[in-house]
Amino acid sequence: MKYETVIGLEVHIELATESKIFCSCSAKFGGEQNDHVCPACCGMPGMLPIVNRHVVDLGMTAGMMLNCHINRTTTFDKKSYYYPDLPCSYQTTQWFAPVAVNGLVDIETSKGKKSVRIKQIHMEEDAGKLVHDDWTDTSLVDFNRTSVPLIEIVSQPDLSSAEEVVAYLERLKSLLRFAKVSECRMEQGSMRCDVNLSVRPEGSTKLGVRTEMKNMNSISAITRAIEYEVSRHIDAIENGTEELVQETRRWDDIKGKSFAMRNKETAGDYRYFPDPNIMPVVIDDAWYDGIKASLPEFPEIKRARYIGELGLSEYDADLLTESRAFCDCFEGAYAVCGNAKESANYIISDITNLLNKKQMTSDELKLDGKSLGELIVLVAEGKVSRPNAKKVLAAMFEDGVSPAKYAEDNGFIVSNDTGKMDEVIKAIVAADPKSVADYKGGKEKALMALFGKCMKELRGNCDPQVLREALIKAVDEA
Amino acid sequence: MLITDKESFARLCRLNQLRLTEAEEAAVLEFFKSKNEEFAVLDKIDTENTERMVHVMPMETVVREDKMIKLFTRDELQASAPESYDGYWQVPRLVE
Repeated sequence: MKYETVIGLEVHIELATESKIFCSCSAKFGGEQNDHVCPACCGMPGMLPIVNRHVVDLGMTAGMMLNCHINRTTTFDKKSYYYPDLPCSYQTTQWFAPVAVNGLVDIETSKGKKSVRIKQIHMEEDAGKLVHDDWTDTSLVDFNRTSVPLIEIVSQPDLSSAEEVVAYLERLKSLLRFAKVSECRMEQGSMRCDVNLSVRPEGSTKLGVRTEMKNMNSISAITRAIEYEVSRHIDAIENGTEELVQETRRWDDIKGKSFAMRNKETAGDYRYFPDPNIMPVVIDDAWYDGIKASLPEFPEIKRARYIGELGLSEYDADLLTESRAFCDCFEGAYAVCGNAKESANYIISDITNLLNKKQMTSDELKLDGKSLGELIVLVAEGKVSRPNAKKVLAAMFEDGVSPAKYAEDNGFIVSNDTGKMDEVIKAIVAADPKSVADYKGGKEKALMALFGKCMKELRGNCDPQVLREALIKAVDEA
Repeated sequence: MLITDKESFARLCRLNQLRLTEAEEAAVLEFFKSKNEEFAVLDKIDTENTERMVHVMPMETVVREDKMIKLFTRDELQASAPESYDGYWQVPRLVE
């Protein structure tokens, strides 16, 4: 018998905010244990939550990027469960009126294009972290992550393979990074997903027994976990190897197996209850329109424009549109210098190298596109040589300096002083009679050696063509 | 979650991590049963065209700007903790 897999995803995304969702503590990843905490996020008696407006901005942005309807009155609710990483014994989330509902995300796999329906996007707080300490035989609680803002994107069960799940996650990541909703770094836990999966005979409309694997945070682990679960379900159905029950399971990527954690709770078990401490958030027209106007051009539309209008190769357009920061830098540079290819080359080659050296991601790029455009103009006008342009770019990347001023202050402006050039050539030629003789004897490389010495002496600040011509003349006359 | 019998009440106790005596259980279950009757009356009201009451207070959109402010130190917050260790709150071990 043939089977089909039915998968729905719940994707948790940490939002790119400075402070937490209900208090002013830092929302930054990491830090010393319990350094980003206050009475509110520790759940101390009497504390009152106040909603971070930017969280609602980002919730709406995500909703609009995923073609959702935005609920203009959105409310927060309490989801009760007991665990020491949740200091209030309830999580503040959205159940009755989430910020966004009924969206659609298009994906593409080897089997073609497909639309995945989004059931809802809700805003909520993250839980803390537990460390289980063998030495003291206790559990240690770190509340730094408690109340860090999240959105949860709940899809309908429209996915049917690991390949589709990966395509869907990559699409979410691309759209939300572009809109600066989140950095979506799976390795830091800022993007995690719960996989709800069942298997049924092909053509059947009745869903099979559903299991949920929680907190998956790597694409490769998700792929392996889905393949394992599908095979386990089919084996149970066909061979009766075990009884399938609705439950939450944990994926062990080292063992390559999933393990039962607990019977799956139902929504009723969480006793959702409107949070009386948080007033409803009403999104008026001005707020809604402001967010709508701030949405970025979608990456695939940018890509088509870069290729069609600006003449970039598909390869260059693909690399640039992987990152919003790259696109912003590229468009800023192009607006100043009018040279798309040159702007793209600097970003894809030199700037990417600088980022790699600093172990930074493209999203962390702070370099202003306008400055890059100015540097490209300086090079095009012959005012700064290409080797020196790399040095200027490194300073721009590091300290945000102005390219013209930095080049001027550091002697990188190409000199038109032919007197100085002639002086240098004369001295180099006189000091290296062997290279002069070799060149005259037909060894072209000998001229390059002399050229290099002259360029070094002049610190690269001359027109290479003018230098070459003057050097040949001097060697011929020597 | 409707509490109608011993079984559903036991589930509620498990979720709330409550341990009650038999006498307490019987009293609370009786309380729930009487409330269920009241809710049954309320359920008969036609609310088809009634907008959901979102909040009892006539206030909305109480929000703050996204600005980080550090108000307390870890030591201040952990001063009242029964147990702390190396900057962590310390609790009985949760997993084997």
